[in-house]
Amino acid sequence: MVITCIVAPLALSAILGFAFGNGGPSGTVTIGVTGASPALVRAAEQATQFPPDVAIRIVPDAVGVRGEVANGTLSGGVIVSRSHHMLSDLLVPIAAPGAQHSPGFAVIGRPDSIVARELAESLAAGLASRLYAGRVTPGSATDRAAITITTGDLGNGGQRVLNYFAPSIAVIFLFIGSGLGMRSLMLERSAGTLVRMAAAPIRPIRIVAGKLGAILITGLTSILVVWGVTSSIFGARWGPPAGVLLMAVGSTLAMCGLGVFLTSLARNEREAFGIALIVGLFLSLLGGNLLPPGSLPPFFQTLSLGTPNGWALVGFGRLSLLGDPAPSVIGPFLVLCLIAVATGGMALARVRRMVEP
Amino acid sequence: MAVDNVSFSVAEGECYGLLGPNGAGKTTTISMVCGLLRADSGEVTIDGHPGGSLEAKAAVGYVPQDLALYPDLSAHENLHFFGQLYGLRGSALEARIEDTLALVGLSDRADDRIGTYSGGMKRRANIAAGLLHEPRLLVLDEPTVGVDTQSRHAILETVAGLGISVLYTTHYMEEATKLCQRIGIIDDGRLVAEGTPRHLIDEFGGADRVRLTFRQAETAVMELACGQLPGVQEVRPFEGGLELGTDHGAGVLPTLVQTAGQHGVELTGVEVLMPDLEGVFLTLTGKELRD
Repeated sequence: MVITCIVAPLALSAILGFAFGNGGPSGTVTIGVTGASPALVRAAEQATQFPPDVAIRIVPDAVGVRGEVANGTLSGGVIVSRSHHMLSDLLVPIAAPGAQHSPGFAVIGRPDSIVARELAESLAAGLASRLYAGRVTPGSATDRAAITITTGDLGNGGQRVLNYFAPSIAVIFLFIGSGLGMRSLMLERSAGTLVRMAAAPIRPIRIVAGKLGAILITGLTSILVVWGVTSSIFGARWGPPAGVLLMAVGSTLAMCGLGVFLTSLARNEREAFGIALIVGLFLSLLGGNLLPPGSLPPFFQTLSLGTPNGWALVGFGRLSLLGDPAPSVIGPFLVLCLIAVATGGMALARVRRMVEP
Repeated sequence: MAVDNVSFSVAEGECYGLLGPNGAGKTTTISMVCGLLRADSGEVTIDGHPGGSLEAKAAVGYVPQDLALYPDLSAHENLHFFGQLYGLRGSALEARIEDTLALVGLSDRADDRIGTYSGGMKRRANIAAGLLHEPRLLVLDEPTVGVDTQSRHAILETVAGLGISVLYTTHYMEEATKLCQRIGIIDDGRLVAEGTPRHLIDEFGGADRVRLTFRQAETAVMELACGQLPGVQEVRPFEGGLELGTDHGAGVLPTLVQTAGQHGVELTGVEVLMPDLEGVFLTLTGKELRD
């Protein structure tokens, strides 16, 4: 219960947050540069648009850069050669697969920090672009570049990914979580504790309601935890809270209804476990939880609306990606409720049969 | 059809045994008594309430054959949970847990996880869960299957000392004989006989049997001599000797020994077999109880 409600959603939120969010507790990455004037470095830094936790420091010489990267003081380094400033020397500074190393640049990295190496390569590319644009030698560039590059606000790509995937993964987790909840009911049946409950002076419907209620509460708690953690710690934007709550409730009812019904078809807990995972993966692919429906052919986009998670993503997408107001999700919410009534009704009948004489 | 035309009653304070082999219909019968299965026809009445009703369920303590407790919880935690299902709360529940665990001898292991218990201790904890709410009728489904002799003895002692109505299913005739005031013999879903153990044995147990063993060469002589003795109703060959049917096995023994001596036959073994429930079952169903 604690694992499904709290631990797993927290882990899920943390993975998504650290992967795509902007509030991760990462330290500052310092990249050292030598061989370029401060003005050139500033220009390159502006052109590269590093995140705020990346610092650039000018180091007197190449030996210093190599030494500081080796001892960990610097995360990565760029050495600009003053003897190679022909255009052909400057155009390919990035060590792409199969690419030639530029004789004008040396990018120094550490094997344990791929990110720092990529940042250093980006800085090298930025330096190259400024040198190329200004047709200047490395030591003589001024604050004013020969040409002005105008950039628009590209936004935070990672943030948008987080805005999409946080509800997306939380929704599919609802299905798997409800399947596992149903599996626990089967374990109770095989362990005999369900029979002992059925022999007690309580109405079977109370046992069924207790079991299904626990699955629903667990599911709702898990999605609310993911919402809370990804938005408060990692800055995900789910949209208006009223709409999110509506979608959370609708998604929980539909996904748990379907999850409980499908896993109740299993003959034993092992089958239930398998169904929860396999159908969960299938729905994820079809509904767009793993690949956004927009990236799929139109046929698949239509097909995704045949799944409850597809409708859940329609609602959450309106709120988080399009910035629509809460009432915009009433349609998807009603569809989810319909799915919940259909699958939940069948699930209820299956579970009643397990408990009633 | 799992059971057919099974009818019996258990009196206040009586221990009633349902004796039958595996698959005879014992568990099906008690499942209907406990309200876990619905009968196609007929009725179950418990303490004046229809079987399966909440009142009837409250009057029954059910002890399933297999352990029906949460292995990751302690005995105390298990009893606390199941006690609440029977409406027990607060200090009354705690007192019942304490009393019940003491009754089954598990007070000192109350806070240990059930999963760490031995097989016999698990069975006793299982019984404790059935006794927790002080039922009018305790239904035990083969509670001693697969437990060691010591635990089996402890379980039988506990059940014998309860003083409440007990419905006890078993395929161990010794248990049924020791515990039960009345026994119903069930086979192929039918109650084939019912009564006190003595009555059943007298009625269906057949004659005493005396088994004599001696040298094989003397079988013909002894068969002829024994067949002429008063009180001996039947003589048939038995592995290594003869088996005699008689109304009073112990009574004919001196005459048998004397007859053997007169014919110069040296007896190497004498065994008197009294009729028992095994014999009753054999007579009524034509098969062994443990088939």
